Amino acid sequence: MQYFMQLVISGVAIGAIYGLIAMGFAVIYKSTGLVNFAQGEMTMITAYIAWTISTTVSGNVFVVTFGAILAAIVLGLVIERIVMRPMLGEPVFATVMVTIGLAVILRSSINFIWDAYPHGLDVGFGRSIVRIGSIGVRTGQIAVIVTLLALLAAIWAFFRYSKIGVAMRAVAADDRTALLMGISATRVHALAWAASSVIAGIGGVFFALSYDLSPAMFQLGLKAFPATILGGLDAVLGSGLGGLLIGITENLAGGYVGSGMKEVAGFAMIIVVLMIRPFGIFGERDIERV
Amino acid sequence: MMKYLATASLLLAGMYLSTGPTLAADPGITDTEIVIGDVEPLTGPPALLGVAASIGHKIAIAEANNAGGINGRKIKYVLEDDGYVTARTIQGVKKVIDVDKAFAMLGISGSGQSIAVMPLLEKSGIPTVIDVAPVKFLWEPPRKNVFVVGQSYEEGIIHLVNYLAEKNPGKKWGLITQDDDYGITVRDGFDTVVKARKLNVVYSGNYKKGQQDFSSDMLQLKESGAEVFLAGGIIGENIAMMKELEKLNIKPVVGIFWPGRVEPVLKLMGPAGDGIYAVDYVEPFAGPAGKAFLEKAKGLLPEAEIKGINRYSMTGYAAAKVLISAIERCGKQPTWACTISELEKTRNVETGIMAPISFGPGVRFSNQKLQIMQSEFSTLSFKPVN
Repeated sequence: MQYFMQLVISGVAIGAIYGLIAMGFAVIYKSTGLVNFAQGEMTMITAYIAWTISTTVSGNVFVVTFGAILAAIVLGLVIERIVMRPMLGEPVFATVMVTIGLAVILRSSINFIWDAYPHGLDVGFGRSIVRIGSIGVRTGQIAVIVTLLALLAAIWAFFRYSKIGVAMRAVAADDRTALLMGISATRVHALAWAASSVIAGIGGVFFALSYDLSPAMFQLGLKAFPATILGGLDAVLGSGLGGLLIGITENLAGGYVGSGMKEVAGFAMIIVVLMIRPFGIFGERDIERV
Repeated sequence: MMKYLATASLLLAGMYLSTGPTLAADPGITDTEIVIGDVEPLTGPPALLGVAASIGHKIAIAEANNAGGINGRKIKYVLEDDGYVTARTIQGVKKVIDVDKAFAMLGISGSGQSIAVMPLLEKSGIPTVIDVAPVKFLWEPPRKNVFVVGQSYEEGIIHLVNYLAEKNPGKKWGLITQDDDYGITVRDGFDTVVKARKLNVVYSGNYKKGQQDFSSDMLQLKESGAEVFLAGGIIGENIAMMKELEKLNIKPVVGIFWPGRVEPVLKLMGPAGDGIYAVDYVEPFAGPAGKAFLEKAKGLLPEAEIKGINRYSMTGYAAAKVLISAIERCGKQPTWACTISELEKTRNVETGIMAPISFGPGVRFSNQKLQIMQSEFSTLSFKPVN
């Protein structure tokens, strides 16, 4: 039982990181109808900026958090304004290819701006180990689980009750009608990119806290993408939960079947789920597949 | 008519004889310059080794240039990035040979990439010294123009496992490897010793390249009761494994391989990285040879590049020294044929950072002497052990 519990707890912890990044995918898809293949790279850049702040400005957790969120907002807005907005009205395929190009540029920028060495993000928090019986968990892992749950609640409330959230849903449902109702689609898109960058960036910062920063970190996007497909490409909350499911499934497969199955299990799971619900567990029926 | 033809032939023959060596000179060499090419991963995670190796090459080249160059010719270093993508390595090598007209080559990227460009190197005939990822295919069978400085991955693992087995008799063993050619080589070396010494292997895992979370793998290792663990990751993987072991509150005897024997890794592992055994054929930076190498580098390269130095800088430096010394021995008019011949005559070349380097007729592999080291968290360094 202890073995099972340790697998589940570790799975939930890594799954929460996948979930946050998956939510980033879903926020952009929900608002713009676009799959952002540079999500993993944006996550990585935010984490590297957080590390830079911690080593050059201050290692205080609040300073790093504030700085990282601000940087993620700027990153999201800049990408939306300079790269994505000119692509408005262009074929979806071309726009998706632009995000792939963006991913390559951001990935390469790590070596140009920083270096290829792994780095530890030290903010005086997150690395200590809490033991419950013989089960060990890092404080950073506890924090990411709590953060994911808090964000799930906050985002639900945002889309349900806030004016901007309702506007984003309106643009997602029918951007022309939304425009006639006085909603600026470009503003909604910009907000979506900024929000997506922040949510995924939080995932990246927590990953750096619990594990390390390295130029391989962009691969988190590849793990989070199945999570968002599983939860529903247009379901922000579903994507978060999809991350948890993928994390737990991976760990149980790795623990009970074998190491090799760990990376396969999540993908096997989405194949099965998509055969039954092609739009994901929490997704809506008529989404455009890219 | 015949008279004119005969006169013209004589004139041409005379011109050829008087300027023969210049006309026959191989690419990449002028009166003032000699071009050495290299292709390395300078972007992406493997840049950790590619950048460091290129820094090693630059140190040796700067050292030679400061001393007047190779018989008066300054060395121009042409470096291409392949991003650890084999297709780009092939493209890069073609560019260095055909466009940049390199006289000789150093490098080249990872083991798979070096293997992939071998037909190209052989066909071109360019003198090449490989130093980054020594695998048997690169020197077996020996190729006329390709030389390898280092030690084979398999021998390295055999040496390490033998050492750990002698120090830990009767213990239970665990192993995890990457699912690629690097992992297969590590596993082959491990299996050789397991068979010879009849080791009791209780855990054997295989992870997918790029895996970042090792919680279930290390939990399996713990459940197996392994007391000696060969961590077959490279950099980030080994860090993640050590941290998981710390979280699980177990501390087996751990061995790692030289691609992961990079000092900054110890800082990231924290106390969990203390006492790890590693095998290598270059000197540790904590020793006098390592310190002298760093001092030398400081005088030759900018501060930003000094930060990128690791063990691969030492292997790169050694290979470049051997190549430069061979070209130098060819005198004022070096050619590919002479350089290859002089490389073959390399005997006990001292680099100060590894055992003396030698090649020979039909011997294209320097077969460096191995040593075992142990990590020390308090000083963030590796130190040789007996």
